[in-house]
Amino acid sequence: MSKIISVGISEHKVASDPVVLVTYGLGSCVGIALYDPEVRIGGLAHTLLPAPVREVQGAERTAKFTCWAVDLMVEELLKCGCAPERLVAKLAGGATMFEPQYRSAHGGIGERNVAAAREALERSGIPLVAEDTGGDYGRSLEFNTATGIIMVRALQQPIKQL
Amino acid sequence: MKFDALTEEHLDALREVSNIGVAHAATALSQLIGRSISLTVPKVLLTEICKVPEVFGGAEKLVVGIYLQMLGDARGNILIVLPRDSALKLLSRLLPREKSEGTLLTELEISALKEVGNILASAYLNALGALMGKTLIPSVPVLSFDMVGAVIDYALIELGEIGDLALMVETDFFGEEEKINGQFFLLPDPESLKIILNAIGVKL
Repeated sequence: MSKIISVGISEHKVASDPVVLVTYGLGSCVGIALYDPEVRIGGLAHTLLPAPVREVQGAERTAKFTCWAVDLMVEELLKCGCAPERLVAKLAGGATMFEPQYRSAHGGIGERNVAAAREALERSGIPLVAEDTGGDYGRSLEFNTATGIIMVRALQQPIKQL
Repeated sequence: MKFDALTEEHLDALREVSNIGVAHAATALSQLIGRSISLTVPKVLLTEICKVPEVFGGAEKLVVGIYLQMLGDARGNILIVLPRDSALKLLSRLLPREKSEGTLLTELEISALKEVGNILASAYLNALGALMGKTLIPSVPVLSFDMVGAVIDYALIELGEIGDLALMVETDFFGEEEKINGQFFLLPDPESLKIILNAIGVKL
């Protein structure tokens, strides 16, 4: 049985083989996984918002914001011995949990989170190799750093592998 | 105002006004289902956003979440969380016996639960508004039946833009004869918190 490390909202964790990084109940939040298959080291972030709307005073940089999450994980992964050219990314989450009448208030926050994650990955030059985003249901992720495979569980949905 | 600037006195005042609000909400719900509903004294929780799912019993717990915005002179979010069993028991009291199988809710069931949310929130906001001398109205309710983590992250978005703390006024309500329970949360936005505290005469 592999060790399990839980990643909460606004958090990111980096771990090497054999660890399962888990995050539960992603709604409009996005789970971003980065992985170096050669050294079997991965990172998982659970981000809440695409980017800060204004200067956040005195705030520590956390994975609350998608744009920071990618940078933070890349920094740590490189320190752990990952090579930037080997990193690949997987995305899950970004659902619309409530009916559209509320979407305009936040401009479809789930979609914006996914878009921000794709942009951040592109900026970092990390290829997005698998994705399970959108829909109207929550997701839980289990990212096994031994294999790089992510199991996506959701209510009333078959288990998916990314 | 910043949530971390709140004193014990502020939190007490908030607890007191919520007490009156939820008492009205519980009475309204009792009348709706024809059974008495009791409630606990509200707790005021100041929690880091990342810890909020724990308050609800863990991110994967299956719940019905009914979400409304507080509109009018003060703004914020209202979230009513019903564990799955309680939601189904409530429905059996509200609707003719035609229980849905599995984990899906029918359109009629969704509509009935939204109405429950509407009645609870309206009663709460009427009482709070009367106390403040302000007008507070709920928006149209929306509903989601899913993992609690996924249901609540929506309510945290606006708070997340401003800071890392969520202020939650939590009340548990429960039926005396049968186990119907749920939680009622008010998440005021920081600006509106100032309006609420000012209106009830608390020094800031």
